[in-house]
Amino acid sequence: MGDLYVRLRALLLRIVVVIGFAIVGFRLWDLQVVSSEQYLDAADRNRYRLMPIEAPRGVIYDRMGRLLVRNVPGFAVYIVPGDLPRDSEERAAVFERLANLLEMPVDSETPRGIEQILQERTIGPYLRVRVASQVDRHAAFIIEEDHLELPGVVVMAEPQRHYYDASLMAHIIGYMGRISPERLDDYRQRGYQPDDSVGVSGIERTQEAVLAGIKGQKHIEVNVFGREMAVIASEPPEPGHSLYLTIDTEFQAQVEDVLRKGMAVAGSEIGVAIAMDPRTGEILSMVSLPTFDNNLFSGGISIDDFVALNEDPRRPLVNHAVSGLYPPGSTFKIVPAVAALQEGVVHAGTTLECRGTLLLPNRFFPNDMSLAQPFRCWRRAGHGHLNVVTAIAQSCNIFFYQVGGGFMEFSGLGIARLGEYARMMGFGEPTGIELSGEAAGLVPSDRWKRQTFGESWYTGDTYNSSIGQSFVLSTPLQLLNATAVIANGGTLYRPQLVSQVVDIQGNVVSTLTPDPIREMAVSPENIELVRRGMRQTVTSGTAWRWTFEDVAVAAKTGTAEYTKLDEHGQLIMDQHGYLPTHAWFTAFAPYDDPEIVLVVFLDDGGEGSQYALPVAENMLRAYFDIPQPETETELGP
Amino acid sequence: MFSLRRFDWLIFIPMVAIAAIGVAMVYSAFEISLPGGPRPGLENFALRQLLFAGIGLVIYLVAASLDYHVWIASFRWLYLLVIAMLLVTLAIADPTFGTRAWLNLGIFGIQLSELGRIFMIVVLARTLGVESHRLENAGPFLISGMLVAPTIILIYLQVDFGMALMMGTIWLGIVFLAGVRWRHLATIAMGAATIIPLGWFQLEEYMRGRVYHFLYPGHDPSGASYNVNQALISIGSGGWWGKGFGQGTQSQLHFLRVRHTDFIFSVFCEEFGFIGAMLLILLFAVLIFRLIRVADSARDRYGRLIAGGVAVSLFAQVFINLAINANILPVTGLPLPMISYGGSSLITSMFALGIAQSVSQRRKPPDNPLL
Repeated sequence: MGDLYVRLRALLLRIVVVIGFAIVGFRLWDLQVVSSEQYLDAADRNRYRLMPIEAPRGVIYDRMGRLLVRNVPGFAVYIVPGDLPRDSEERAAVFERLANLLEMPVDSETPRGIEQILQERTIGPYLRVRVASQVDRHAAFIIEEDHLELPGVVVMAEPQRHYYDASLMAHIIGYMGRISPERLDDYRQRGYQPDDSVGVSGIERTQEAVLAGIKGQKHIEVNVFGREMAVIASEPPEPGHSLYLTIDTEFQAQVEDVLRKGMAVAGSEIGVAIAMDPRTGEILSMVSLPTFDNNLFSGGISIDDFVALNEDPRRPLVNHAVSGLYPPGSTFKIVPAVAALQEGVVHAGTTLECRGTLLLPNRFFPNDMSLAQPFRCWRRAGHGHLNVVTAIAQSCNIFFYQVGGGFMEFSGLGIARLGEYARMMGFGEPTGIELSGEAAGLVPSDRWKRQTFGESWYTGDTYNSSIGQSFVLSTPLQLLNATAVIANGGTLYRPQLVSQVVDIQGNVVSTLTPDPIREMAVSPENIELVRRGMRQTVTSGTAWRWTFEDVAVAAKTGTAEYTKLDEHGQLIMDQHGYLPTHAWFTAFAPYDDPEIVLVVFLDDGGEGSQYALPVAENMLRAYFDIPQPETETELGP
Repeated sequence: MFSLRRFDWLIFIPMVAIAAIGVAMVYSAFEISLPGGPRPGLENFALRQLLFAGIGLVIYLVAASLDYHVWIASFRWLYLLVIAMLLVTLAIADPTFGTRAWLNLGIFGIQLSELGRIFMIVVLARTLGVESHRLENAGPFLISGMLVAPTIILIYLQVDFGMALMMGTIWLGIVFLAGVRWRHLATIAMGAATIIPLGWFQLEEYMRGRVYHFLYPGHDPSGASYNVNQALISIGSGGWWGKGFGQGTQSQLHFLRVRHTDFIFSVFCEEFGFIGAMLLILLFAVLIFRLIRVADSARDRYGRLIAGGVAVSLFAQVFINLAINANILPVTGLPLPMISYGGSSLITSMFALGIAQSVSQRRKPPDNPLL
């Protein structure tokens, strides 16, 4: 009886065993048969990743085919947030070890620690975040070796830009960097990832679409640490195109050299020299000093380097050739000259008198000459009677005051027409050159003055505008381009820097074609008169210091007063009460069939005819291969 | 007395088959998936497991040839040994994986509670198997409970919840098979029903977390329920036939953790599918049913309770492990007997089966050949 009782217990145990295994069996049926597909998907999601394959970036050559930038191998360290250990202590250990290897902090605001970088840049669990680039080769190998100890950390080979002639070409080529947060969405739509490097200035930026190429992609199998185990399928990238610039670096180096010397003589801290082919708009040379080493930006510039560059009052990171805005001074006189001739304000034979001072009557008390405002010529004794050609050659202010603003019975252009011609010649709008950060400049109008200062426009303002002062602001490149219009007989071209685009096999994709912005509505005869004025400037005018006659040169000098406040908020003036001046010089040559037009600008450089002229002269000597005179007369009288 | 004629092949064959599968699975789940591939010599976990299986087999045969009454006779010493082993472990063991159940002996860690579990089966069989004790009264039942309670507490203090649970289950199983009255069981059940809610707040934080993750597995995919999810993905993605030996992506690419120990069944399911899993369960079922059959035909109550205890122990551990893998039960660290990597578990499991084999070889002749 008792036996049966315990046998019953054994039977119950058997039933429990059957029920237990049946429960497990049904559960497995549910998982492995009913829902199998869903779990198979999940397993595939675990192990398959779609990864981009970087496209090799195009390189850049100068006009003569000299290599200016090359891609060099570098290593970058990434973290895949989703592959980091879940456990916070293990994760901290990974960060600690990685920080030691990379010699960077784990948790710090400046410089950015690993935690901060992850916090800022994490987009999704499996989108990698770059923690460090330009990683030391040795450290990269250790990290690669120790990947089992560093789950979620990935080392990738990442080409970096190495710039030859770095400081010589930095303002033109620019540099690369991270995508700024504001532009991230825009870039992402174009297939970029948040960690990609993009051109952030210069040609690197404006030609990004040409240079970057198209990324490929690959399906890879990864393990739990995010390491690539096998490639399932891949689509190769399309390499970026390479560029040939219009610049000849040999000439560029000569220009930089003469500009540097000219700045030293003038005591100027900022200088610009640009040369262009007036027939096509090709930039032959563009130097903005001081410059910087754009290799510092490859793979991320250090905070110290950046602060040093950014806080330098001379602003070496800024390309003053396209971003600097200055009063153009007398070099601007070609604008009222062209305008006045075309508008019939003056004719070739019209003469106006310069007595050294022009008294502009007070508009409310026109008969009380004691209230009249004096406007002076740079030549106190006056120039006497001048026509438009000699007025340009002598750079007479009084002539152009009258041409611009009128005087007594003689009616001038007025600011509206002056502005119209200035804009026609490219002032007041960016030229459209392939560079970033180009400034628009300013062509004032009475409406503009009322809106900006709440004041009416006075005749005196027109006077000053006519000689490139008052509110007129131009970049050196705009002034160069306006001068080119005179040189080539009336066409405003968009200045260009890229002469040729070639693909990876060397096939030409595109070649520079001149890109006229507009033809001037000015008769050739009128332009010819201004050209003659510029020629006379050299032969018998303000550019009397010019030393060579091997090539016929036409030019215009400029000495532009500017206002600058010192630390006490006072206007800076010299002991005679004169404002400081920028030295300008524009020129083109050969006079009959110009192939080069140039502009020289020396910030706080004094007289244009004295300090900017030698720089222009030496540029043309270099360009036309004219030897230096036997006796060095660099300082001049 | 070792007799080939009376040798119980229905214990031996499934046991060897399961242990062989275990060695193969350790090889697949761990060694193949290492970045450098399988390691040489005894660094190789699969070879170690094979060595443990060899040792286990010898111990199995020795235990089979010994009369199980030897263990019954020395039950007092065995009990003292169990308590001593658990105290020693608690005193000097290193905490590894959050548990202090491991005694570090240089190259190998040894888990003495595994051996203690086998000895407790003998102790309980002796306590409840004395013929003169009537289970009509609660005496033997309470005594057995008082013997088990200290071992459960000591194991619990080692933060080895799984083994503590096993010990309690073995006690319940043997008490049940011994014929304890339903009313006594009901009293215990009611007692448990009042203690469990109180005990919930006494549980270590990690255990409560595990229960939460069990109840809401998809809730926190990057957190602690990670491995439970990965186990489900492993099992489910195996489908009918599995991905093949050494081809499980979840294990080979290391998405599944502790894949060579507690979660080795998930790897098995991934690589051999539903069919393979059913066959493995069938092997365990054959073994467990055979053990119950041995209990039924045992010569005396001691033999009956020993074989029954081994059956309960094996079934409980297999069931809990599979249920954890399939997310039917919350995670408690328990290896799958004779499959999961680990010498202590493998050798003691085979030792227990050896004692059961001994019981089987000394069974009474069938009353009726037709039965």
